[in-house]
Amino acid sequence: MPIIKLAKPTRLRPLPAAAVPVQKTDVRLGQIIRVLTDHAMVAVSGTKIGDEIGTSRSEVWRLIQQLRTLGVAIDGHPATGYQLRTVPDLLLADVLAPAVKGTLFQQIQHYYKIGSTNIAAMEAAAGGAPQGSVFVAEEQTAGRGRGANRWHSARSAGIYCSVVLRPNLPPSDALILSLAAGLAVQAAVRAIDSRVHPDLKWPNDVLLDDKKFCGILTEMNAEATRVRHVVVGIGINVNQQKFPEDLREVATSLRIESGKEWSRVELLGALLKSLDREYRDLLEKPNARESILRRFAEHSSYARGKNVHVEENGGFEGVTEGLDARGFLRVRTAHGLRTVLSGTVRAK
Amino acid sequence: MNQKEIKELIRFLKEEGITEFELERGDVKIHVKWGGDSAAPPTHETRYYAVHGAPPVAPELGAVPVVPPPAPAPPAPPKEEPPEDLHIVRSPIVGTFYESPSPGSPPFVKVGDMIAAGQVLCIVEAMKLMNEIEADVAGELVKSLVTNGQPIEYGQELFAIRVRK
Repeated sequence: MPIIKLAKPTRLRPLPAAAVPVQKTDVRLGQIIRVLTDHAMVAVSGTKIGDEIGTSRSEVWRLIQQLRTLGVAIDGHPATGYQLRTVPDLLLADVLAPAVKGTLFQQIQHYYKIGSTNIAAMEAAAGGAPQGSVFVAEEQTAGRGRGANRWHSARSAGIYCSVVLRPNLPPSDALILSLAAGLAVQAAVRAIDSRVHPDLKWPNDVLLDDKKFCGILTEMNAEATRVRHVVVGIGINVNQQKFPEDLREVATSLRIESGKEWSRVELLGALLKSLDREYRDLLEKPNARESILRRFAEHSSYARGKNVHVEENGGFEGVTEGLDARGFLRVRTAHGLRTVLSGTVRAK
Repeated sequence: MNQKEIKELIRFLKEEGITEFELERGDVKIHVKWGGDSAAPPTHETRYYAVHGAPPVAPELGAVPVVPPPAPAPPAPPKEEPPEDLHIVRSPIVGTFYESPSPGSPPFVKVGDMIAAGQVLCIVEAMKLMNEIEADVAGELVKSLVTNGQPIEYGQELFAIRVRK
């Protein structure tokens, strides 16, 4: 897998590095945006905002300044009150809340900048973070892929998100979450724009025009018979307008492929909803595994009849021949049928 | 032949007290042998022997643990009854064994290390799902039973730990 370097953010103004807090986002920033969104037609006084979020007028002014340096368009000043010019496309808990109502995902932790959302989520999960915790960042400085691959994640151009799940399943039954996560991304993209038809590459890369715009890395901590926690990390290239020369052949974004800018808030909302549906089905419906395997076969051009090269055990080539009951990819080679457990699959 | 059929077959063999059995059908070959000299079959687990001198292709992994055609099979790793205090760590999933968090980085553990309970020993990957395998006991890591990048079966022995008393 190549190192994915993403282009500069398009939606928000580039910031001086010092303006980006490395720690958790102050939840009051999201609360201010929620108050301003609730009163979108009028200017809201600093005193009123302060009352609603439980802070002083001068603190509100300081937080408004901070939001402005983060690229949020807010009109007004302390004497006139404040008004949002546009609802910002920031993945703050308060902004996402309406979209994820009724799902598992009620604890969203936002970071303007973080090393890796997967590392944060794995650490939090080990420390007892509840199922449904979401870790989302505007920017990752050490976004991870498979093995030593990195997913460098430019500020506010993509979605970099990890969720904590605690399925009551034996570890071998939880593997299929890996396929379900790719299906959830595909469904979310189609829910937002039905003209876009992403392909799935086993196990869960999501492609447009045979180029990758979404990668998923799942990490599990389990006892012999019981999963303790699973973290599903999802990186989506959303509004990047171009990629460095060496990556143009393999990487793309939703914006490049559709020709329009996407709302990350809307897309992440749709993604968390479809992930919630897949996960609940897996735990509750007796035929969920068959459904996942069947839908993968329907929605992936890689599932069957594709000439592929597999980077596993020194590499081999063949034609894909569907998934086995566990979700592993079968490849017909000159030496017989082989089953891919974990190797990277590429079209030939 | 699906997993259910194979389970039924194994149940049948157990009931009949058959201690060794081999079947070849299409490209699936099954070799079942109950461990030890005792005639009583084990209650739960079947041993699958890897084969020395197998062709350089990876063993095919079908719906259940299946091994390439077993020649007169010397079991590998050689079957050795571990002393009482050796604790065996097994893989809870099928996948690929990685000794380190990423290629080129130092292994999580090596033989001779003192291991704490809960310490990560390795990763087994399947379908881009990285499964951290932890030690469930504290003690000295005395044996590493698999090699980096090797395909691993469900329940396969990974490490032996001499339990700290």
